Amino acid sequence: MLYSSSGEPQGLIFNIQEYTIHDGPGIRTELFFKGCPLRCIWCSNPEGIVATAQLGVYPDKCLSLEKCGFCLKGCPLQGASPIKHDQNGVLAAVNMVQACKDCLKCADLCPSKAINLWGKRYTVPELMKIILNYRNFYLKSGGGVTLSGGEVMLQWEFASLLLKECQKNSIHTCVESALHCPTEHMEVVYENTDLVITDIKHMDSVKHKQLTGVGNELILKNIRRTVELNKPLVIRTPVVADYNNDEENIRAIGAFLRDELGGRILQYQLLPYRKLGTEKYKTLAVPYPMGDYLPPERPVWEANIRDLVDILRTEFGLPAVAGANHKLPNTK
Amino acid sequence: MSENVLRSDAYAAASQVDTKPQAIEPFDKEWGVGLSGNTPEPSPFPRINRILSVTQKTTNGFVSPERAELVTQAYLEHPEEPQIIKCAFGIKNVLENSPLYVYDDELIVGGLGCDKKGAPVHPEFGLNWVVDEMRDGLMDYSEKRTHDYFSYTKDTQDRLEALRDFWNGNTVEDLTNVLVTEEELKGSHAGKGVFFADAYIFCGAGHLGLDYDRLMKLGFGGIRKEIEEKMAALDLTDPKNLEKRTFYRAALLANEGSINHCKRYAALLEEKAAATADPVRAGELKKMAGNCAWIAENPPRTFWEAIQLVHLANCMILIECNGHSISYGRFDQYMYPFYQNDIKNGISTREQMQELIENFFLKIWDLNKLRSHILIKTFGNGGIGGPALTVGGILPNGQDGTNDLTFMVLDAHAHVRVPNPWLAVRLHASTPWELKVKVANCIRLGAGEPKIFNDDVTIPSMLSSGIDLMEARDYQVVGCVEPDVSGKTYGWHDCGHMNMAKVLELAINDGRCFNCGDSCPRWEVCGKQGKRLGLQTGSLADMTSFEQVKEAYDKQMKYWCDRMVTLLNAVDMAHQALRPLPFLSTVMDGCVEKGLDVTMGGTKYNFTGPQGIGIGTVGDGLSTIKQLVFDEKKITGRELLDAVEANWVGYEPLYALVNSDYVHHYGNDDDYADELTKFGMDTYCKHIEHRPNAHGGFFQPGCYSVTVNVAHGLNQWASVDGRVAFEPLSDCMGPVHTYYGSHDIKGPLAICKSVTKLDHARATNGTLLNWKFTPSAVAGETGRDNFIALMDEYIQRKGMHSQFSVVSQETLIAAQKEPDKYRDLLVRVAGYSAYFVELNKALQDDIIGRTSLSFD
Repeated sequence: MLYSSSGEPQGLIFNIQEYTIHDGPGIRTELFFKGCPLRCIWCSNPEGIVATAQLGVYPDKCLSLEKCGFCLKGCPLQGASPIKHDQNGVLAAVNMVQACKDCLKCADLCPSKAINLWGKRYTVPELMKIILNYRNFYLKSGGGVTLSGGEVMLQWEFASLLLKECQKNSIHTCVESALHCPTEHMEVVYENTDLVITDIKHMDSVKHKQLTGVGNELILKNIRRTVELNKPLVIRTPVVADYNNDEENIRAIGAFLRDELGGRILQYQLLPYRKLGTEKYKTLAVPYPMGDYLPPERPVWEANIRDLVDILRTEFGLPAVAGANHKLPNTK
Repeated sequence: MSENVLRSDAYAAASQVDTKPQAIEPFDKEWGVGLSGNTPEPSPFPRINRILSVTQKTTNGFVSPERAELVTQAYLEHPEEPQIIKCAFGIKNVLENSPLYVYDDELIVGGLGCDKKGAPVHPEFGLNWVVDEMRDGLMDYSEKRTHDYFSYTKDTQDRLEALRDFWNGNTVEDLTNVLVTEEELKGSHAGKGVFFADAYIFCGAGHLGLDYDRLMKLGFGGIRKEIEEKMAALDLTDPKNLEKRTFYRAALLANEGSINHCKRYAALLEEKAAATADPVRAGELKKMAGNCAWIAENPPRTFWEAIQLVHLANCMILIECNGHSISYGRFDQYMYPFYQNDIKNGISTREQMQELIENFFLKIWDLNKLRSHILIKTFGNGGIGGPALTVGGILPNGQDGTNDLTFMVLDAHAHVRVPNPWLAVRLHASTPWELKVKVANCIRLGAGEPKIFNDDVTIPSMLSSGIDLMEARDYQVVGCVEPDVSGKTYGWHDCGHMNMAKVLELAINDGRCFNCGDSCPRWEVCGKQGKRLGLQTGSLADMTSFEQVKEAYDKQMKYWCDRMVTLLNAVDMAHQALRPLPFLSTVMDGCVEKGLDVTMGGTKYNFTGPQGIGIGTVGDGLSTIKQLVFDEKKITGRELLDAVEANWVGYEPLYALVNSDYVHHYGNDDDYADELTKFGMDTYCKHIEHRPNAHGGFFQPGCYSVTVNVAHGLNQWASVDGRVAFEPLSDCMGPVHTYYGSHDIKGPLAICKSVTKLDHARATNGTLLNWKFTPSAVAGETGRDNFIALMDEYIQRKGMHSQFSVVSQETLIAAQKEPDKYRDLLVRVAGYSAYFVELNKALQDDIIGRTSLSFD
């Protein structure tokens, strides 16, 4: 766990959305924990993968060295600065791997956010202050807090402290996790979790590994355990045409949910792939893993997903839906 | 008051008959999300779809000369009469002699004395601009006028030109100019535009609703009887009563005109019926003739008669005076007894009444109004403008008044999807869930209707203006924004627009404009002579504490409010002298009782309501100054002034910083900025509220811009909040979004909290917050319910008024590129909805730029 200079536990968070409506019931505040053990090829939050603070570079926003130059002036390395500009004086990169002291001063000084800091450390009281701001909205809408990522389980100790504090304040808690984590960590987090959202990206572990960098054994084990513990559970599949939208895969997931979990899930959501986050890849100087991939035309794609939902509902009797805006059964 | 009690008790008892709302659509019927008007044949009624297929989806029209001629003729025939009698002869002549039209399929008649989309001319307010624009090619379509344009024939132009001499020197514009001096004009529309106060120089004040209870109870015949009785009872030895007698004479003339107008329609419909072969249509026409013949003098008996009377009476108000925002009151309340009676006695079915409401909406959309090429820049795509219609809310007795008609009215909007009427739904803590669902589904459709008003803050706000409790509970929404007691208020709502951001500019720049120089049209009489536009309140460069900035803003605000108040009162006096409204006076409460015209304070409540514009711009401006200059001393006051005077050129890092979240900004639930925004708004309210006005009441501040933020912005140099020259000011109560980016970055919950830290109840002339959601943010069951939860919280936090846009950014941009494909794309502008492709580019960009609350 991270600690502040005064010894308080801290979490590394790369985004706080003070209004989300698609990750758990009602109106929610969602915290994105930095660091993830998976490398899903369609990941739309690449800034959440690395478990340390990072700088993202937006050349379009740079005012140029001629007009500004605050980043270089503030850099302690001066001549050997990892901040690179092109021949027009426009910011090109910050090479954090080499030479950089990770002081992050340049992000602080940049007036136009051409250098953006991904990942900020927060204590539990700091986050609670933000979360409690919107308590009335949670109460009115049946919402609460969702911890997401990256992978929240990587910061399981901090997460569990935060969730405990939320529950103490009567705020509904949801954890959205890939569940690729030690089962004991998961169980500690669950002590203060009201709802779990997780994914099954592919039933074939080999393909799962191709798509996400890890096999699915641990994930499936943790899902079974989640059901054993009677945790309210939502399962999702991000459906990507030509990667995991074949009926065979969807049927295999259906069979797992019905036969191994006894259908004890609140909802099974099929989420259509959207090409999001490509800009953020650029700012991190990382290529988009799916390259120029485009999903099929919208009507075709929507029909395909509706067909898959039909299979799951009729053949497997599962509470399957397309998208994340269908009401969940009441979990309280 | 006792009458009100009776009425409300009757409604309350009635509403218990049907505990669950019954309409022809289920309460949770969905029409899609973000579709707006892009659906063929939206109505379940073939008749309505047929009418829709010939309805022009445009506010463009043509100029009709008849009204101007008939009014001029009446004035010429009665040169010796007092002004009010001339006016009465004028309206009477138009009602009795203007052309009338009956259209295929329609079940209701009434217009403005000209064909559909025609706009009559009102020379009483000024004829020169009309003929000048015709002469200069500024009225019909041209590069200089690409929307809200009006065609006209050579004949029309000649006929109006022939009237010019008669009106020269005798208009409201002419008299106003005599009543004021350079001191009031220098900051006005005729000068530097610190404030606009010209809205009612060139047209009527409007912004009112007639007394629907009075009209339904008495009918025009009952009103005539009342006037005659009052006149007969006058003791004419009292000189004051001589004046009253003149008023009653005028009222009787106007009343006779209104009765004859209905009878003319009855005769025309009989004629049409006789000439119609189709027996079904002939039967309809005969029935319509009967309706008009009956309501000419008698109170209506059926829903059909009542809705016919409502439409005709409002058309007559518009014919008399082209005031904006002639509003339709609490339609679901005053129509409910007719609805119930028709159902109970088998007179008409729910379906028939639904069809009538839809036809009625389309009739309102066919009306039109001529505006100058200047006015359409501040008020684009308005049609007649402001025909608000209110449903829902509590009754005078404090109970919820939702009934079947509340639902049917909202269904009617979803079925016709034209921008009129401007629907307002009143919500409160005990509004039934079913109504909230209906409202949410209408809003999600994305055509921009309805707006939501909050009883729980509006009623206390009205009480603070001295309005009786039961009447306050019975309020309607007028026009874009204003709460009003229908039939009892002459509110002069929306009469002026103070640019608060310009006031801040002058406050920190020692009374000088940032761009003072020889490019200014006033340079010769002002800057060149070492003078300055405003009050000398010091320069930010010399100020040593933030308190001094606030003090300067306060003093500068008083200085400009003083001048705006004087000018508005001068316009008010010119209306009273030249443009009394005898017909309107007969259908308002109190005028006949008192023997006093409505313009002179004849009805019960008399206000003048000018708005403060640029609330967010001022808030972020003050916040920038406080944080960067005084708290952090990151820059000096001189540097900030230099940067703004340079329009930020050469100050790019500061420009980026001021526009970044480094600076505290309004709209992020950040007390630092929110409290300064509140100070900016309260200062405006303080210098407006309770000042006496010229028609016997007092001033009420409002806090909304509608679209004037664009016009004021076009007039103003850069500002300290990170705005560049000529960019729009912040919209209504909303946060700032500059070309650089949105200053609010935390989403709708933070906006909701920030905006409700401001004191909405103090803005007794109304407030407005425009919300814009992407379709995905409100899609699905969860989208609907979360939207309702968000509104519930806004209401609990005492936000007064919200309007919604649910269209994706991509759709708007696509519509800009290919307007022909998006003719039916109706969007919320502010206060009203309009066809997006008909708006001017600046306004389109402003709408596209509003923060989109998307969380996909």
